[in-house]
Amino acid sequence: MEPLKIDKENLKDILQVISKDYKTFCPQKTDKGFRDWRIINRDTEFDSEFFSYFDEVTLPKSSIKPFFFPQPETLLTFNYDPKAEDAFLPKQCLDKEPDKIDTVLFGVRPCDARSLILNDMPFKDDPYYNIRRKKIFLIGISCTKQSSTCFCLWTGGSPLGTDGLDIILHPLDDETGYVIEFISKRSEELKDTIFPEKFCSKASQSELDEIAARKEKSKSALKSMPNLAEQLKQKELMAVYNAPFWQDVAMSCINCGACTFLCPTCYCFDIQDEVVKKRGRRIRYWDSCMFPLFTQHASGHNPRGDKVKRVRNRFLHKFKYFPDRFGPVSCVGCGRCIKECPVNIDIREVIRNLLAVK
Amino acid sequence: MKAFSERIKEEAKRLLEQKEVEAFIGFSKGSLPMTTRPFVARTPEDTEKLVFNSFCVMNLARYLPEVLKSLEPQRKPQDPLPKGPLPKVGILATGCWSRNIVVQIQENQIDRDRVVIVGIKGAGMIDKRKVFAHVGEKEISAVEEKEDKIIVKGPEYEVKIAKEDVLRDNCQVCVHFDPVIYDILLEAPGAHEREPKIERFKQIEEIEALSINERWAWFTKEIENCIRCYACRNACPLCYCPTCFVDDSRPQWVGKSIDPTDTQIFHILRAFHMAGRCTDCGACESACPMGIKMRLLTKKIEKDCLNFFDTEAGLSIDVMPALSTYKPDDPQDFFITEKLFSKDSK
Amino acid sequence: MASNKKDKNNVGWQPKIVAFLCNWCSYAGADLAGISRFQYPPNIRVVRVPCSGRVSANLILDALKSGADGVLVSGCHPGDCHYISGNLYARRRFAILKSFLEFIGIEPDRIHFAWISASEGEQFAKLVTEVTKRVKALGPATKLVKRLPEV
Repeated sequence: MEPLKIDKENLKDILQVISKDYKTFCPQKTDKGFRDWRIINRDTEFDSEFFSYFDEVTLPKSSIKPFFFPQPETLLTFNYDPKAEDAFLPKQCLDKEPDKIDTVLFGVRPCDARSLILNDMPFKDDPYYNIRRKKIFLIGISCTKQSSTCFCLWTGGSPLGTDGLDIILHPLDDETGYVIEFISKRSEELKDTIFPEKFCSKASQSELDEIAARKEKSKSALKSMPNLAEQLKQKELMAVYNAPFWQDVAMSCINCGACTFLCPTCYCFDIQDEVVKKRGRRIRYWDSCMFPLFTQHASGHNPRGDKVKRVRNRFLHKFKYFPDRFGPVSCVGCGRCIKECPVNIDIREVIRNLLAVK
Repeated sequence: MKAFSERIKEEAKRLLEQKEVEAFIGFSKGSLPMTTRPFVARTPEDTEKLVFNSFCVMNLARYLPEVLKSLEPQRKPQDPLPKGPLPKVGILATGCWSRNIVVQIQENQIDRDRVVIVGIKGAGMIDKRKVFAHVGEKEISAVEEKEDKIIVKGPEYEVKIAKEDVLRDNCQVCVHFDPVIYDILLEAPGAHEREPKIERFKQIEEIEALSINERWAWFTKEIENCIRCYACRNACPLCYCPTCFVDDSRPQWVGKSIDPTDTQIFHILRAFHMAGRCTDCGACESACPMGIKMRLLTKKIEKDCLNFFDTEAGLSIDVMPALSTYKPDDPQDFFITEKLFSKDSK
Repeated sequence: MASNKKDKNNVGWQPKIVAFLCNWCSYAGADLAGISRFQYPPNIRVVRVPCSGRVSANLILDALKSGADGVLVSGCHPGDCHYISGNLYARRRFAILKSFLEFIGIEPDRIHFAWISASEGEQFAKLVTEVTKRVKALGPATKLVKRLPEV
């Protein structure tokens, strides 16, 4: 599929075209001052503040996790009213058109998109998640600047990574526009609807060379990085588990769930029934391994009642148990946990400590 | 500020060397600009890591009960406490944190005899979100404090901002900046010029002036981004219930999802449980990843406690928190029976 | 009743008011009202509690969340509490709660507090009449009511 080029001025037109047919989300400034995924509708102002997202290095506050793994997600509904037509028959809430794309996420960073590949592994047989994977179309944008909290290269990602994306836009150095690269098979089918010819042109050779050079640079940077997953898989489990640095890391943790909820690859959940009068629903909602109640048994015993055990568990899950079981580390290096942790627990320091364990 | 950091290091080192305390709770340097990490120094060498600056926003009193407990000898719940003095803990305490320590003593969470308080007359803390708003979405690589200004450096820019323009909301309205309980007292640079920048309850009065539906719209909008991470609850030194009402299941007071009604009830009840105890330290707001201003709820209750009962949280160890006590002449004109059946119409 | 879609102007709607009555005074007063045949509207649903001091903010908000259009809490007169000081602690708690709920935008006439002693049967009837009148004027509660989304 031939790469295309689009000028900056035409981005607005593309977004208006897409938002007519699909629910389109793009990271926009909220009145709290941070950027977050918001729908594009008639009220959206396509001003310089809107577009500065594509030039700067900001990550939206939430990852794309809420689209694929929403909270709450209604799994099934039930009705105790004998007169209702679905009385006493639980109804599973699966989408009626599972193969039809209905949502477009525009402006996904490669790290967030890569989290989908990682989450696909534990959610392999989950019908709700898999339907959303089919219904949501991702248009990403590669990163030209690096934030102080970014570390995607450590985890095997890349600022120009295409994992999980359908289409990716690469900003050009001269800031005139973007090169559009088509990645997935279904992106070819939608090419004419999303990027109609009147707004795009064929990408020139010099533009393609510029992007290729950037990709080469990122590849060689990746090669020079230690392979985190391999190195951690080779560590002996009990050595890592009993390492002395966990006390220092966990000391300041306040066991809030901020890191887990903002992390694109944290996927723990709990299921509960909610009943209001005669109607009820079974919902899946986000739970956090940082909460003391997470491992509370009905007997009252709590295997991870101590704070240090919970903190240790979270990092070991991401960097030892997950790679041991599935292969890659369960982290994309987006750095949200570093930015948002109220007590500044730095996951990069934990990784360094883990690598240093004999 | 660096000299003051050194002063704190000296005090902490002295206390640990002379075995007056077995642990000292302070802050260490964070890995990002404008962040600090709560830190427990357990040896005199550890104190080298201590820092103190205008970005120490977490409330250290939150760690006091758990550090004290961790120093007690291991024992089963039914065993009695061992005889003899138990290890002590040193802690830094600005005005608001010291008042939290007073409330913790009043509520029997900690023992006054086991705490050595290094009181700090502080100049207020800076809200890093206000600094971010100042520079827009540009990357910040370093922030340096210089007297009454901060110098913010980033790739290809440098800007000076006056500290008072980016002071935290609660520090701007603070009227009790001196620690009320301490064993040693230190004065931070800029403290002697301290005075409230904005009238204490101005933000609350502005909201009270709105109509009832405007207030509901304000409240629902403020709370709508909440992801129920409970960072606010966990950062609070007075949220120490072994089982928070949120985790109760029989009955279940609040649902677990981010349904708006459940989230609203969580915030209403949490603010209410702080009634008469909250000292407006702002740790909840600083911890919130979504920038929700839940401080405005607790501030309203603080205003009511002051106006109705003439009490403030933690000012003196002899005055119990507002809702833990009563007076025979407490106001009751809001009771409908007072209006319906006043002495004249009987 | 509230979900009757044809009743757009809530003509047939009757408010549901949850009344927390303390066992020793207010509940006895309500009982006396019944025995003495004082008429009052049937909209209250009584929950008997040992003391008004037991009524916490959790309970009142749970009533609102479950769809109560109004909440009434009634206890012994100050000085007469069966448990000596339960209602005195409650008085402070209710003052804060009422002011706070009004601050966040809940109509003040939805939550009411009262002192009713065991001999005040007539006053109880008058109280319930007044409270029902005020709550009815506000219409059905919508603000803190938990609803399941339509799926």
